[in-house]
Amino acid sequence: MELTTQLIERKPIERLRESITTTPGRMRLLAVLIALSAVGAGVVTATAATARKHAAHAVAAQTEPLLVEADGLYASLSDADATAATTFLTGGIEPVARRRRYVSDLRSATSELSTLSHQVGNDPVARAAVSTVVAQLPVYSGLVETARANNRQGFPIGAAYLRQASDLMRQTILPASGRLYALEARRLASDYGSGVSTGTYVAVALAGALALAVLIVSQLYVALRTRRVFNVPMLVGSLILLGVVVWTLVGFSAEQDALSRAQRKGSDSVEVLSATRILTLRAEGDESLALVARGGGDQYVADFSTVNSVLGHTGGRGLLSEAAGVSRQTGSAKSFAGFVSLLARYRNVHGRIAAFENSGEFGDAIKLAVGTRAKEAPLADRLNASLGAQIAVAQRRFRQAVGDATAALRGLSFGIPVVVAVAGVLALFGLFQRINEYR
Amino acid sequence: MRGRRRHLLVFAWLALAGVTLAGCGSTSNDAMRASLRALQTPTPSTASTKKPEPKVKCADATASLRPIGALQSHGRMPAGSFMSAIQRRGYLIAGVDQNTLLFAYVNPFTGRFQGFEIDLLRQIAKSIFGDPNRVVFKAVTTAQRLPYVQRGRVDIVADAVTMNCYRWREVSFSTVYYDAGQRLLVPKNSRVRGLGDLAGKRVCVTEGGTAFKYLAAYRTAHPRHHPIASPRPQSTDCLVALQQGRVAAIASDDAILLGFARQDPYTKIVGPRFTDEPYGMAISRSHPDLVRFVNAVLARMRSDGAWSALYRKWLGSVAGPQVLPKARYRD
Repeated sequence: MELTTQLIERKPIERLRESITTTPGRMRLLAVLIALSAVGAGVVTATAATARKHAAHAVAAQTEPLLVEADGLYASLSDADATAATTFLTGGIEPVARRRRYVSDLRSATSELSTLSHQVGNDPVARAAVSTVVAQLPVYSGLVETARANNRQGFPIGAAYLRQASDLMRQTILPASGRLYALEARRLASDYGSGVSTGTYVAVALAGALALAVLIVSQLYVALRTRRVFNVPMLVGSLILLGVVVWTLVGFSAEQDALSRAQRKGSDSVEVLSATRILTLRAEGDESLALVARGGGDQYVADFSTVNSVLGHTGGRGLLSEAAGVSRQTGSAKSFAGFVSLLARYRNVHGRIAAFENSGEFGDAIKLAVGTRAKEAPLADRLNASLGAQIAVAQRRFRQAVGDATAALRGLSFGIPVVVAVAGVLALFGLFQRINEYR
Repeated sequence: MRGRRRHLLVFAWLALAGVTLAGCGSTSNDAMRASLRALQTPTPSTASTKKPEPKVKCADATASLRPIGALQSHGRMPAGSFMSAIQRRGYLIAGVDQNTLLFAYVNPFTGRFQGFEIDLLRQIAKSIFGDPNRVVFKAVTTAQRLPYVQRGRVDIVADAVTMNCYRWREVSFSTVYYDAGQRLLVPKNSRVRGLGDLAGKRVCVTEGGTAFKYLAAYRTAHPRHHPIASPRPQSTDCLVALQQGRVAAIASDDAILLGFARQDPYTKIVGPRFTDEPYGMAISRSHPDLVRFVNAVLARMRSDGAWSALYRKWLGSVAGPQVLPKARYRD
């Protein structure tokens, strides 16, 4: 018993002792380390590159387009609410252009809804939000049509139907679409986060440094033991490995830079401008609904001033100052300043309308708001057009930057394993040249 | 030597990478947070803060100030009177409702006020100026009716104001120009004849209105069999609720119900009146001369058939015949 155990156990122990004490043994050990560290570096680098590529690709192809759809839905519904109220205010014979705008709002909302319902995935919040909008939108449009039919007969009950439609829109449909929008905005932020994660960067740098250190130590050992200063294959392998690490990190850095540009110059603009557009539309709806209620619309008057203060001023604390900051970052300060001056004119006209309302002169207030020589409605249209154009430009900036981000990582996840394998094989080849000399 | 140099190279590169990492590559969610916060702005609450009117007793809430002498011919208002001040201004300022079909509403096609109350006010303008169009109508809400009179923002209000003892402390009233009362509006095929048939059913009332208070009192009196009051912020919201089948009936002033029945031919007004709502025109307490003047105009319209003509014009097709109740005076 004792003898056999010793016989069996002696061999591996001796082999181990041999590999630690003799030069070729140590070289073999180094070969194993080189192979392991090269495979490790290759796997870590390729995995990190793939993770980043996925994140950048998700931003470009999924989350941002979905955010744009969610924003489109939110804006279409807000515009439908404002347009329905303004159209109602113009009386029984409604302007064809306004009617068309309302119908086209509903059409785009429906198309955005169908895209979203296919792509939001299985998130329960998103599914619930989509199904709320899907279920309530027909109810809403039914109420608007009933309001129109009564208005055409000159019946005051039309205004009550419009109020109910708008309440449904503002208390049920818009909040659901807002939840959807917030969800998509947070998803985008988290994809940006994984696209620029420090973890992948550090992992690649550490794995690369480790593999290089093993190679350098091996070469130093070989140089000391064999008196041959240069081992060409090992040197080339080391340089290739260094090249791969640098290539990856430079690629990461360029991708990171492009992604952060996509956010700062693209989607930040889109988000801030979209929020501004939705709030502006809400204020326009408030103005019309207050006039439709003819003195009975205190809640709309209050909502107008709340929304107005949330928008604030470019120099103050509100959304406009945030948007102004973003526009300076993106070099679009000029077009934003155009919007701000339009808004100032709109607010000025609103002040005159409010003064008419306060003194019970609704006829004059309505004339100023939507009459044939109205001041307010054309300004509101220009506000929306200006924001729409700026959002489109921001969207183009986003597309370009996010294209740069995916381009920066092109070829990495395929190239890294191949090149690292070549470097590893070269290094091992060089080492085995020396090991074989001991036979 | 070479190894150390390579080490240096790697360290230099890592340092460079660190700088890059900390510099341009970061992302920030400030813009997203600001946008989402702005979008979550809640709509202000619409809870009404209307205080209930205290109950006050007086001899006769429908009794007004007696006209003095015969009605002056137009254009010759007594010097120093409020009417002569109105005449110098050039127009009468009247506060009216604008959502009650038949009584006072804006014609959406012309943008002009029209209705029974509007024509009554035109008669007063005619008596001052000889021209029924010398009147500027200002739309007032229910809450604004009496404060506007008190603060002098309007000369007179004809907006379905029920005369009661408490309101007499705030304003003066003309004699009764329309004798309204609370009734029920139901779908045409309904068998409901009164509140007794509505036990356990929803009945729409305007928030803070007289019908709301009446239903609360009815519930106390009939704890087992009573309708469920379903309040809505504005009176027209009740017709929407009835058309959508959310309520079985609407309880309101018959003056308002007449306009509802006119807007929806599939409804009918049923049952006896369960309250009396005598409407008077509200005038500031500091202008008793205008109160007496308006009462003289109403007295003349009663005697020469002008009131009945107006009644037939606006309400004859939907309401049964009514005569203007006899004027009651307190002095």
